[in-house]
This record gives sequence, C-alpha cells and structure tokens, in this order.
Amino acid sequence: MTARFGRNELPEQQARSLKRAIRIEWATIAFLAVAIVLIYLVMGSSQAMKAAWIEDLLSLAPPIAFLLAVRIIDKRPTPRYPYGYHRSVGVAHLVAGVALFAMGTFLIVDSATGLLGAEHPPIGSVQILGQTVWLGWLMMGVMALTIPLPIYFGRVKMKLAEDLHDKVLYADADMNKADWMTAVGSIVGVAGIGIGLWWADAAAALFIAASILWDGVKNMRAAITDLMDTRATTFDDGRPHPIAGRIDDYLRELPWTDEVGSRVRDQGHVFHVESFIVPRNRQVPSLSALTDARDACIDLDWKVQDLVLVLVDELPEEVGGPAGDRQSERNR
Amino acid sequence: MNGLRRVIPLVAVSSLLLSGCGIAIPADPHGTLDRVRGGELRVGVSHQPPWTETYDDREPSGDEVELVEQFAAALDADVEWAEGGESALVRALERGELDVVIGGIADDTPWAERAAATRAYAESIDDRGERTKHVMLVRMGENRFLVELERFLDREGRG
Repeated sequence: MTARFGRNELPEQQARSLKRAIRIEWATIAFLAVAIVLIYLVMGSSQAMKAAWIEDLLSLAPPIAFLLAVRIIDKRPTPRYPYGYHRSVGVAHLVAGVALFAMGTFLIVDSATGLLGAEHPPIGSVQILGQTVWLGWLMMGVMALTIPLPIYFGRVKMKLAEDLHDKVLYADADMNKADWMTAVGSIVGVAGIGIGLWWADAAAALFIAASILWDGVKNMRAAITDLMDTRATTFDDGRPHPIAGRIDDYLRELPWTDEVGSRVRDQGHVFHVESFIVPRNRQVPSLSALTDARDACIDLDWKVQDLVLVLVDELPEEVGGPAGDRQSERNR
Repeated sequence: MNGLRRVIPLVAVSSLLLSGCGIAIPADPHGTLDRVRGGELRVGVSHQPPWTETYDDREPSGDEVELVEQFAAALDADVEWAEGGESALVRALERGELDVVIGGIADDTPWAERAAATRAYAESIDDRGERTKHVMLVRMGENRFLVELERFLDREGRG
C-alpha cells in the first residue's frame, strides 16, 4: 500500500520519513513510560522532581497525538468531510498546547507558593541491599539517565518534521530538545537541597514550570494561527512557505493569464490552494488549458493536491488586487 | 549530541566542587545533627502506649522512648523530654524547639504536611486486624538528621 495523507500519495522519501517518524514516536513513548515510572519511584517530596515528572507525563501528548493523527489523516475526503481529515493534526496540536499551558501555570503557582512559604523539602533515605542511601542521589541519577535520549530524539524528529511538513512533530522535537534542561534543572535543585539550600528545589521547579509554560504558549499560538487559516508557513513557522510564490510564478508565465494571486492555507501536512486568475483580454481559456495548468501546479510539490483555479475579472485585495471599499465580491 | 557534551562537564565540575568543599550531603539547613552530636537531643513525646507512656513524676517509657534513648547514646547526646499533645509538639518542631516527635505515629499521619516523617521502621496489628506502620517526625528539611535517624532505625527498628 502506498503511504498517503488523505488524497495525497506520498513521494518515496516522505513515505520513508513517515515510517521512521512512526517508529521514533513509539520509541519516545516507550522511553517516557520507563522514565515516568522511575521518576515516580524516586520523586519523594522534591518540587523540582514533581515538575520534571509532570513534564514527562505531558511529553506523552505530542507522540500520541502524532500517532493518532497519522491514522486519521489516512482517510480520503468524504461528502461529510469534503476537505479531508488533515485538520485533525491542528486539533491535536491545539489540545497539546493548552495542556502544556495549563500545567505550566499550575506548576508556577504551586512552586511559588512553596518558595514564598519557605517550605523546606524533606528528602530522606531508602534502603538498597541493606545500605541506607540518601534518596537525593537516586533522584539525580535517574534524572541524569533521562538526558541523552531526548536530545537524540529531538534531533531526528526535527529533520523528519521538515521533511513531512508536520507541525506536531516539530513541536515534539522542540520539546525533546529542551528536555535536557529540565533534567539538569531538577538535578541542580536536588543537589541544592543536598548542600542545605532549601530554596534551590522550588527555584529549580519554577525554572522548569516556566519552560513548560513557554512551550505551551508557543504551541498554542502556532496551533491557533493555523486553525485561523493564516497564510501557509514553513514547518517551523519561520517564514511564509515558498510554494505560493512558485505557483503564482508558474501561472503568470502562461500565455493566457494576465494577473495571478493565490491563497494558501495549511491543512496540516498538505495545502489547500485557491489561485485567482484574471485571464488575458478577459478571454476564458479552454478547459484543457485550465486542466494542464492545474496538473502542472500539483506537480510542483507533493503537499499541493487540493488546488482550485478561479477565473475573476479583478484580483481580490488579499492576494494583490487593488484596494477597494467593497464589502463583498458582488457588492462593489 | 551537543547538549550532552555541555551537560557532562557541568555535572562533573559541580560534583568535584561539592566534594572539594567538604560539604556533607545531604546537609541540614539548620544544622540539627551537628548541634545534637555530643549535645542535647530534644524529644517531644505524646502519650500512646505501648509505644510511649508519660508520667507526672518520672521520665517517659515505652518502645519508642527506648529507641530514641539508644539513638541519643549513639550520637553521644543527652535526651531532653517534652511531653504534650501531637498538635503542640508538631508546632514546637516547626519552630525548631524540638528535634524529634514520637508517640506511636502512623505513616499516613496528616502531620506529614508540617513535619518530615521517617520511613516506617515498625509495624503493628490492632484488635481489628488493621496494620499500622510506625514513623517518627523530625523538623522539615533537616535531611542529614533525618537520614541519620533512618539509618539508626534501619539497624535497630523492627521493620
């Protein structure tokens, strides 16, 4: 079976990337499951460890969202969902962003209360093989173990996110890359308790909570703007996606076009394109000319499948037409 | 793996620094263990036979009382007893006027919000067959003292 996103069949490279992404997201879930259990076992009453534990719990959301989404967007458009199921990615992205934001806020309040109330966190000992060992050593050991893998995951996912134009995968990679700071933060916090600085723990927890909150703000903003149909951007929201310009350039070169302007929205992975064309001399081109133009545009990029060509007498203002005070296409 | 390359030296350097300073880990923010060693162990006792029994005219007795006396002896410290209800004793613990509170306290004690409970060191079964694990309370955040007491209870307790 060919790998597909809705109606779009994936090129070979993207199909490979998708397989790798699915594998690495399963690996991430397995790693997180182990980390969550280990951290829970040694968490004790350290606020920083609690924050790190909650962050790891939340880190489960993007991989799960991704794996669910690749199943759902497999479906082709139906009469009930005429644009296909691609937006499920955006919905998953928004849910993950809101969860991060809410948890970050909760942890900041929780840690700040502890800091202001001058709560001295008690960390006792555990008995291992007949030896009494300070629990703090175990905490630092477990957190150190959780440092290397997320850094590796983050790097691989970042490349795959670019390849697949997947913003959930990008958000996940971004969180993984920042995860090592959480681990170091909690190690510093517990080490602080170790040398008798009771406030180090709550301060480290505040730092971790702030990073969770920041992740939440970034992801929420990105998800909301995508659901608002802002113009399509690159996978990291860094700049407008070049495809709109390439489609316009191609269409403008055709002998039967005069003015061209396109609206491109990101459906999650794939783009929905509406290209407005003012035909030369107001002459309606032949059906075969229109079909050829559409097929050529679709061949420009695998992300473009859903493309609509609209013949108009004047370009709408948003895509470069003249500024007007009309309220609608008909009412000018 | 740039991040990791940055982290390893950080951890290495900080552990060197810590061991170099001769700071014992964990430390007591209020120096409880150092003060008690060779000095005085201030113990709050709430009446809860057979763990603790308090009297008007003589020093308390009971299993936990004996354990605390052994602990004090191991630290070369004299015990100063204070008797009262758990509420008053925990408040004194919070103010730093006591070092340990005993009185047959269970490991699910609500005082765990305001005092640091040791690991359970003994178990009892009451008439209805319910199991209770027993702990002692020390001041919040005095982790060196807490670990020292737990180490003692690991050796001497009936866990």
